[in-house]
Amino acid sequence: MIRLLPLVFALVAMPIPAFADMSRGFRQLLDAVVRIDVREYAIEAGSKRFTSGVGSGVIVSQDGMILTNAHVVGKRAVEINVTLANLERVSARLVGWDHWTDLALIQLDADEIQKRNLRFTVSRFGDSDDLYPGQEVFAVGTPHGLTRTVTRGIISNPRRYFSDSRGVRGYETGMFNTWLQTDAAINPGNSGGPLVTADGHVVGINSRGYLSADNLGFAIPASTAQRIVEGLERDGEITRSYIGVVPGALQDLENFYDLEINTGMLINSIDPGSPADRAGLRAGDIVLAINEAPVDGRFPEQLPPIHHLIATQPVGSELRLMVKRGAESSDFNVTTERLVSRVGEEAVLDAWGLSVREVSRAYARENQLPDASGVLIIGVQRGFPGATAGLSVGDVITKVNDQTVDSLQVVQTAVEAYAANPASVLVEARRQFRVSLYVLKP
Amino acid sequence: MKFRPLSLFAGLAAIIPAVSLSAAEPLAELLRERLASVVAVEITVALEIDRSVDTVNGIVVDREGTVILESGAINDRLTPDQLVEIRVYRADAPATDYATAEYLGRDIYTGWHFVRIAPEGRTGLRPITDFAGPNPPAEPGLADPLWGIGLRKKDEDFRPYFLMSRVSMVQPLPQLMAIMLEDTAGRGLPAFDLDGNFVGIGTSGFGESMLVYSGRSRGPVPSLFVNPEESSALRLAADVLPYLHRIPDDVYGRPLPWFGIDGIQPLDPEVAAYLGLDNGVGLVISDVLAQSPAEAGGLLPRDIIVELGSVPLPRLKPENVVTVFLQREIARQRPGDVLSVTVLRDGNRLELPITIGEAPKTPKEAERQYFEDLGLTIREFVYNDANDRRSDPTQLTGVVAHFVNSSSPVGVAGLQYDDWIQQIDGEPVTSFAQAVLLLEAVKSSGRPEVVLLVKRGGETSVLRVRLNGTGPTG
Repeated sequence: MIRLLPLVFALVAMPIPAFADMSRGFRQLLDAVVRIDVREYAIEAGSKRFTSGVGSGVIVSQDGMILTNAHVVGKRAVEINVTLANLERVSARLVGWDHWTDLALIQLDADEIQKRNLRFTVSRFGDSDDLYPGQEVFAVGTPHGLTRTVTRGIISNPRRYFSDSRGVRGYETGMFNTWLQTDAAINPGNSGGPLVTADGHVVGINSRGYLSADNLGFAIPASTAQRIVEGLERDGEITRSYIGVVPGALQDLENFYDLEINTGMLINSIDPGSPADRAGLRAGDIVLAINEAPVDGRFPEQLPPIHHLIATQPVGSELRLMVKRGAESSDFNVTTERLVSRVGEEAVLDAWGLSVREVSRAYARENQLPDASGVLIIGVQRGFPGATAGLSVGDVITKVNDQTVDSLQVVQTAVEAYAANPASVLVEARRQFRVSLYVLKP
Repeated sequence: MKFRPLSLFAGLAAIIPAVSLSAAEPLAELLRERLASVVAVEITVALEIDRSVDTVNGIVVDREGTVILESGAINDRLTPDQLVEIRVYRADAPATDYATAEYLGRDIYTGWHFVRIAPEGRTGLRPITDFAGPNPPAEPGLADPLWGIGLRKKDEDFRPYFLMSRVSMVQPLPQLMAIMLEDTAGRGLPAFDLDGNFVGIGTSGFGESMLVYSGRSRGPVPSLFVNPEESSALRLAADVLPYLHRIPDDVYGRPLPWFGIDGIQPLDPEVAAYLGLDNGVGLVISDVLAQSPAEAGGLLPRDIIVELGSVPLPRLKPENVVTVFLQREIARQRPGDVLSVTVLRDGNRLELPITIGEAPKTPKEAERQYFEDLGLTIREFVYNDANDRRSDPTQLTGVVAHFVNSSSPVGVAGLQYDDWIQQIDGEPVTSFAQAVLLLEAVKSSGRPEVVLLVKRGGETSVLRVRLNGTGPTG
């Protein structure tokens, strides 16, 4: 798998004189690009600690909506400061977040804008589906804190397949869209800034660069971004459907499966207990059509549209998959469920010195756990009851005293009770598949 | 290799005057006599594409030419029929002068491998029991001087050498062990007291923790140094002599007692106190295996074992030694024996008699076949394979990739050692025999490819294997 480096966290700010000799559209676009300073808390140490980072963004609406990367502004942001093109600073709030596309939507504080009578420009989207390899593009952003930096390059590949199961702060990314690959210089801090055509249309949101490579940058296409903006503005998140099929590219296996060229998607793996598993689908099956629409998953870059097709079905709806198994073809009805991340909800249990994360269905499947109960320890603070009792990162707390931990709430309630009235607590936890008991003492 | 003649002799000069030698005979004479109980064993192993030769030390245990080798002497993955030749050499005899031996199997309780020297090679050998001393054997005391035998390599005709040190501590782990100040015996070779009485065997598994300072790292780097030749840990005679007769019935080590619990975790002393356990010792059962004696006897996951045979578990340190104690107690049983287990379940004590069973077919006993054209050995999928993969052990389907030549067609296609092959050419694999037929059919058909569905770490993937002679495989 390709490992890409999220382009965030640059610390120095240095204004750069604006470009001369450019189109009106391009000048307008420059006025819509912002610098974003984020302060957020991290919990991995078994306690809350503050960190800060810098990224870029682009204003997409008159009411001050700004599109940026999910890895620039996270759900734990406590302070978001936006520096407009005129160098005025305005605070903003997180509106929506989607790690799968690595996009986040923030909104400028309307009162502040009005009170200070600030002005900004709104960018215009271009058609990312029309981009061709070799087309000239520009990246605008805040690389290494260098505000308002413009770099130039071409579209190296308009449809690059890429996914990473921990690419955005430990969350999954990719999968549902292809990416634009460009050789325009993209550095840490460019994240969230736009990739634009010479006439100033936004065709992508710069997101990642290839680690230790020259000029291999990746951007989320505008066609995807526009769709996500709508969803985030409306719901704050994107709800997707899931059936539990892991496809593999058919590449040159058509002969073996006796398929017509450009037909079918190979199922490489089925998540245990998933809707596809329950419906009787098996690894090695070939999906020929979904709801009568033929699918073609010959090459990796053809897989995201298929994932997208499944993801955009309403949760709980029934999909009819036409499947070829051996010489036989038959239909399977699969009822979708809601897609969840392997990263569940997180919390800090201060009194025990532990950071925990709810075990999600996806995490449970990935780790072959019997079910999705329990909370996973993701941080331990030394010298606190959790660490002293012997708990460590990776343990899954399954029971507290006599209560089964089926939600984060159970543990939080126990910790609150402990904080109010410290008394020994018996904790059952699983490490790998081994069950151990621990006593947390005041 | 660690051997320092100069420092060794210098060390002796320092030690011997300090020790009051009560022995009637000089140590050199005692050593010479006891060489009749030690041998070097050279084992030739046939692997898929090559052979390997290893030499280990052994101790003669009876007058039938039976020799014990320490548990690590033979890789557990190997089957008895892969041990194509076993040669036994005497200490100090020319390396051209050897006897052959046959493999008898590994005892589950002691971990020892047993081999038996051919009759013509037994002349002059003496069992270690000839030097056993008082019965029961006396436990050496702190600071007692003990000496042992080491053997050089084949190129030096397995010349014996002398080692000596003092007892630093004696501890049950749970076998009774003496930890010595210095290396006192070769691995798998005996140690004696000053009267020449057998006191223990040098065992593997002990190393020295050291901090290494180097220019490349900022601070000290902890390292473990293990001497592969000699040992400073002795398994004491009390845990050796009573078990020398435990020669398995067959080369697979059967009878193999089976209990059927997994993931046994010792209780932390704080937890034991919290649960009100008198002696502070308990073992949590993580899993009870399907169709096992433990399941039949009513044990459940999360039961806490507190007594065996109505006797509280011993208080051993560190706590995980208690886990080993239980495993060894089970290993000591024979199928059909009843072991009574007292568990704590939801605060109540339950005593459950468990009838020890006979272990299901082991990976070692599983059928296997090598396909040279593919560069692949497939092995029957057995009960333990299913358990290891958290799958249902009552449904044994597919085969295991037991050997993958990385540059062979299957290796290039991405197959890895220990992958679980579930389908061959789209055909679900239901048995080992069927898998063999399918792969043989591929071979005889002259087809350019074979498609495997394999499972690794809970995920499957479809691998296309291009067979040799059909164009580039890149």
